[in-house]
Amino acid sequence: MSLSDKSDNEIIELLAEYGIKHGPIVDSTRKLYEKKLKKAMDEAVVKPSSDKTYYREEEEEITYVTYHSPVRNEAYSDTLKRRVITEPDEEEELEQDTEPPIQSTRAANHTTVQSRQPIKKSGGCKSLLIRLLLLALVAAFLYYVYCCMESNPENPFGHLL
Amino acid sequence: MSTTSQKHRDFVAEPMGDKAVTDLSGIGYALGTKLQDQGFDKAYAVLGQFLLLRKNTELFAEWLKDASGANSKQAADCAQCLSEWCNNFL
Repeated sequence: MSLSDKSDNEIIELLAEYGIKHGPIVDSTRKLYEKKLKKAMDEAVVKPSSDKTYYREEEEEITYVTYHSPVRNEAYSDTLKRRVITEPDEEEELEQDTEPPIQSTRAANHTTVQSRQPIKKSGGCKSLLIRLLLLALVAAFLYYVYCCMESNPENPFGHLL
Repeated sequence: MSTTSQKHRDFVAEPMGDKAVTDLSGIGYALGTKLQDQGFDKAYAVLGQFLLLRKNTELFAEWLKDASGANSKQAADCAQCLSEWCNNFL
């Protein structure tokens, strides 16, 4: 079905679809808008070539994931990930206590992770995880300190009152 | 930007009234005849088309090229002429 067979309303819908600003569609303007539409449609047909690059990226991602899965100790990496997930919770719980316990847990985690790394000898992925873990721990600690600093000014007032 | 022609200045200086299509800047005898054949015998009829295209000079110039076989310069002159007339009198 060619553009010239469509009704004025269909032309208007198509123009809106392709984001073409338009005035009224009448006999004298219709031909012009049909031309514009055809051009826009042709451009839209050409576009998928650029979409292909997106698909390629997706493929790369997929291969990237599958490339990682064959690594020997998959189960271990899973447990490590679980550790990463669970540890922040522990920290949060501990954060509500006093400062020293956090430092001790941080040191404990640090040593356990370090001791495990050389045994398994599995690539940079885990060392990256460890670094992220350390970063998270430091960030949590700083946040805790910050919270203490925030709450301190209130305490003296509490004492005064 | 090129300077405007005497024809352009004459047209945008006053209401178009009943002026012929050939009084529009960029529209000479040959283009005027082609436009008259399509029913655009008066300048106001062409103005009507210009307004239908929402005073979009690019769209109008494109239409004029299709409708009368005007070249880019002629079409741009006519669009500019009508655009300025609208600013002055609409």
